[in-house]
Amino acid sequence: MAFQIAIDTGGTFTDVVLADSDGRFSLSKAPTTPSRIFEGIGSALTVAAQQRALSMSELLAATDVLIYATTRSTNAILTSTTARTALITTKGFRDTLTFREGGKLRPFDFGNPYPEPYIPRELTFEVDERISSEGEVLQPLDPDEVRGVLAQLREHGVQAVAVALLWSIENAAHEQLIGELIETELPGVPYTLSSRLNPIIREYRRTSSAAIDASLKPLMQSHLSEMQSDLRASGFDGELLLVTSFGGVLRLDDMAQRPLYSVNSGPAMAPVAGRVAAHPARNLVVCDTGGTSFDVSVVRDGEVQLTRETWLGPMFTGHITGLSSVAVKNVGAGGGSIAWIDSGGLLRVGPQSAGAEPGPACYGLGGTEPTVTDAAVALGYIDPGYFLGGRLNLDAAAAASAIERVVGEPLGLSLQRAAWAILAVANEHMVTAVRDITINQGIDPRDSVLVAGGGAAGLTMAKLAEELGSSSVLIPRTAAALSAMGGLYGDIVTEFTVSRRTHTGQFDFAGVGDALDSLDQQMDEFFGRMQIAPEAQVRDYVVEARYPYQVWELDVPLPARRFDDVSALVQAFHDTHERVFAVSEPGQRVECLTWKGRASVALPKPAPQRVASNGAGPRAARSRPAWWGADEPVASPVLEGEHLSAGVSVRGPAIVELPTTTVVVYPEWVLDVNEHGDFVMSRAVTAPAFTEEA
Amino acid sequence: MTQVAPPRTADPILLAVMANRMESICREMMNTLLRSARSAVINQARDFSCSIVTADNELLASAEGLPVHVIGSEFLAEAMTELHADLADGDAYLHNDPYLGNTHSADHAILVPVFVDGQHVFTAVAKAHQADCGNALPSTYAPTAKDVYDEGAITFPCVRVQRDRRNIEDVVRMCRARIRVPEQWYGDFLAALGAARIAERRLKELCAQYGLDTVRALVAEWFDYSERRMTQAIRELPSGTLEGSSTHDPYPGLPDGIALKVTVRIDAEEGRVELDLRDNPDNYAGGLNESRACATANSIIGLFNSIDPDIPHNAGSFRRVNVLLREGCIAGIPRFPHSCSMATTNVADRLVCITQAAFAELGEGWGLAEGGMGMPPYMAVISGLDHRHGEMPYVNQVFIGSGGGPGGPSADGWPTYLIPVCASLVYKDSVEVDEQRYPIHVREQALIPDSEGAGRHRGGFGCRTVYGPKRNPVSVAWAVEAHHHPPRGVRGGLQGARADAWMIDSDGNRVDVDLVGSVELAPGEWIVSIASGGGGYGSPLERDPSLVLADVREGWISRERAGDVYGVVVADHDTTSPSVDEDATRRRRQELSERIKHP
Repeated sequence: MAFQIAIDTGGTFTDVVLADSDGRFSLSKAPTTPSRIFEGIGSALTVAAQQRALSMSELLAATDVLIYATTRSTNAILTSTTARTALITTKGFRDTLTFREGGKLRPFDFGNPYPEPYIPRELTFEVDERISSEGEVLQPLDPDEVRGVLAQLREHGVQAVAVALLWSIENAAHEQLIGELIETELPGVPYTLSSRLNPIIREYRRTSSAAIDASLKPLMQSHLSEMQSDLRASGFDGELLLVTSFGGVLRLDDMAQRPLYSVNSGPAMAPVAGRVAAHPARNLVVCDTGGTSFDVSVVRDGEVQLTRETWLGPMFTGHITGLSSVAVKNVGAGGGSIAWIDSGGLLRVGPQSAGAEPGPACYGLGGTEPTVTDAAVALGYIDPGYFLGGRLNLDAAAAASAIERVVGEPLGLSLQRAAWAILAVANEHMVTAVRDITINQGIDPRDSVLVAGGGAAGLTMAKLAEELGSSSVLIPRTAAALSAMGGLYGDIVTEFTVSRRTHTGQFDFAGVGDALDSLDQQMDEFFGRMQIAPEAQVRDYVVEARYPYQVWELDVPLPARRFDDVSALVQAFHDTHERVFAVSEPGQRVECLTWKGRASVALPKPAPQRVASNGAGPRAARSRPAWWGADEPVASPVLEGEHLSAGVSVRGPAIVELPTTTVVVYPEWVLDVNEHGDFVMSRAVTAPAFTEEA
Repeated sequence: MTQVAPPRTADPILLAVMANRMESICREMMNTLLRSARSAVINQARDFSCSIVTADNELLASAEGLPVHVIGSEFLAEAMTELHADLADGDAYLHNDPYLGNTHSADHAILVPVFVDGQHVFTAVAKAHQADCGNALPSTYAPTAKDVYDEGAITFPCVRVQRDRRNIEDVVRMCRARIRVPEQWYGDFLAALGAARIAERRLKELCAQYGLDTVRALVAEWFDYSERRMTQAIRELPSGTLEGSSTHDPYPGLPDGIALKVTVRIDAEEGRVELDLRDNPDNYAGGLNESRACATANSIIGLFNSIDPDIPHNAGSFRRVNVLLREGCIAGIPRFPHSCSMATTNVADRLVCITQAAFAELGEGWGLAEGGMGMPPYMAVISGLDHRHGEMPYVNQVFIGSGGGPGGPSADGWPTYLIPVCASLVYKDSVEVDEQRYPIHVREQALIPDSEGAGRHRGGFGCRTVYGPKRNPVSVAWAVEAHHHPPRGVRGGLQGARADAWMIDSDGNRVDVDLVGSVELAPGEWIVSIASGGGGYGSPLERDPSLVLADVREGWISRERAGDVYGVVVADHDTTSPSVDEDATRRRRQELSERIKHP
């Protein structure tokens, strides 16, 4: 028996998914141990091994591929525990990281402090050099000045250096010279050159990429090599791969050189898993719901959608990664979100959250404010005696009194109508999040399947689908570990970028040819390092293009690697523009700026699991009263999800309980179990969501 | 989505749904316009706004739109319904007339009436500042224009520009014939139209999903809710009359500047606020006159900046506010043919600041200081011929820097504020993108240490920007304000550093320029822009010493200023890790506060 293992170390829990060559999957979980990550991983692996009657070393010895996703870098950034990092930049532009690109979310709000730059001004150093937008050297760089700056860095005890000069994307000579001087003057201090890491136009984005990347190098390089040796010491002899924010995996050396790729990598894999689970559906909205956050990503036409605008922290005031990475919209909405009534008498849910402590009122840990989880308990959707598979006993009376006091009485609603309203308003936040990301990615949720993952996946997913006008929801049986699952289906993939500006009115075939050759060269080197046979090498070419005078580009795949006619490219651009912005300008020329080569290697995937039908229909083992928008309860069947076999169909209202989540089948919805044992919910009758009885 | 739900009364669930949905539609409009527009002032700086107005011309939703644009979009819609009795599904209108409810001629608004079941239900409005609007001089700002004829913009008094969703080419040709960079204008026109059409599509879907009657009931209920929130917020204010005043810098045609005034009357019990702008000077023969839309919007903005930002900003909350304007007044309703070319910035910025600073008089926790004002060359309109693209003409406004934001009751001013009407919403340009688009070279863009208005919460720092031509000459047109009258602090906070501009000639000498002026820079010459710092809130002697220390460490505030102005003595023994000398600081602050009491 051979195995594949995917490990996802989150802030609190480490998830392990084990797949064997027979297509059987098992999930295990253990608390994350931040001081030595491998301890937590080891515990989870031991549990997984025990399920197969193996020791951990036996399991690891029989494992071909181990895929590792970590929030280590993201957490280090959020807790400001990255290396003491300096920035070297062009004279006159010391404040680039402070300014960012401007912008603010709430027009009339002057109550929030302006955030610090990623690298303090104290550690930002200017050098007197300048390259023009055409790449000519206007002010040559003096190596002695650089040596002087590096001496200051030494005095400041700097542990890593980011170098980001204006127009290094047109001419990288000055950045390269600084890199060479760092190697001789500050030997062993890791550094990042913006032109090498992420050669895109816009100084803030490129500088931010370089700054974040450099600050992670000391930490991630030691973390990854420690991880590697711990695994080897425990008997692992297979291939270790690391999950990236691009929705793929990389080998350890590549990741250690560019640790920025590990930032935000966790949520990037959910759509990869979703794509496999929902096959052959082409358009998906993938929702990963935890206790405190709701992450949405999108698959369009079979492709996981990417963005260049990933912010750590809030948009405009956080720090942008600048990389092309899986687009994930995150909102702070979950089971712990608190319901309240504002001064105008409107019911609000969040943004305050009760978190895990004190948690919802029903946890009985001191929380007194009603939350989304309390509402689900009051409506009968969550069994107070079977929460998290019975690990926590809930206090239904506490939930009820909190809801009545805060929501029911002020609005003159019964307990259950108040609870129904709380779920509806909470749902609306998710609707907004899905709309925002689908708008940005130019897809229509009505033509899409909603894929739900995470612990709170099943609670309101059908209602979310109704509001969005989508009629199909998929909840994989492994929903609770959707991100970890994604690791098993990731390919090795990376992207190279070359800037070369031209337009289709007077297309620079020779220059673009050079740019594409340069991409091929970089991809040759990448594949060569991994000894990938030519037939296994997959290369895709994309251009970031726009109409003249626009400044925001759209990604357009190149019709072919070599072409001597631009008409197909132009047409592809018009079509993309029409789809995303509802208008196009036929006849207009197209400006092409950045050429991207995507190098990928398909990895062997676990066979999809199949669940045999035992021929039996659903057994309503028990039922309990649940409320569905009216004052009167309906005796609703409660089914054990783990015992539902393929082909079973359950008509709502019903509640399907799993150890890690509860799937609510609303009235007018039907839940079917497919051949993989996943739950597919579809709407029987179209009706506006959350209507009340007339 | 053909099914129509039965009529119903509004309920709390649907109300929340509807409010979110309207904001979401505005955001979708904005995304479309930002990403697909051609001119930098729109696609880089985001100088545009989208809103949804009801059929009876009440502002419903505007998401993150620029307040100066969106408050008053109901006037635009009003012009459309009054002028066009044959309004029909598939129509679109182009409107830029400040005498018919628009802000100023440079803002082109596209209005699309949204019809459901044959009835006009909403109007979608997408308004964007144009790169050029056909003015006599190549700038969308004409401070010296004696009247609208001198200003020279081509005016569209809410004219139909699409019928049955097809362009009325006559109008498009007029624009193409009379606007510099016509291709760019047409791209922006398409982008605004696309945004309004997307809103139309979404609003129709919404009405189909919930039923027209339900949607109408919810809209009415949302206005009532917003009014309740506003009433509540005003009831928390102390009753009384506030007099705010300040002086706009001397400008061409205005040798003494403009003494501006707002009287704020708060009736807490009734939950009403009156903003009275009638006691202001008459219109004058220059470009700084306010349009009715701008005078209304900017005093309301000053009010909204001073109260709970969570209150919805729509016709419902406006019901509790009464703005009193006078005809023929520089800060009121203009008398034709006065020019309102600069209506969105100069007097507008002053009105925002006067109002929010007046609220600070109410007591601790209210109002805001004044923020950085004026359009020094970092916000200039530049034009010329680009040698890199066959001497192709270009004209556009740049945003290479920012004025400092105002200090407030709970936070320092932001360094990305730009000017009061932008309030950090407008984006800064990327220097690289600017240099690629225009044949200019930017030598410096840096915050200026010690330029903040000191305070318990200090103002944002001003910014220094230096740029010049690559090869061909570049025309630069600017209008510095807040040089003679820099942004003031409130509640004991100090004023920010003054704005300024000068030129550096090819020998490196400083050459004075007019504060409102333009120049054709030759290669080797540079323009220097100094944006003002924001005013402070509260006494600098009350600022947390650890925050002063952090500013010293970062090089924002000099040690001298920390000691002289904030009374914080920074220990000198360790230069790489400075610390606060607490005893010396206590003594110094004592001494300084005595000096303030007994000067």
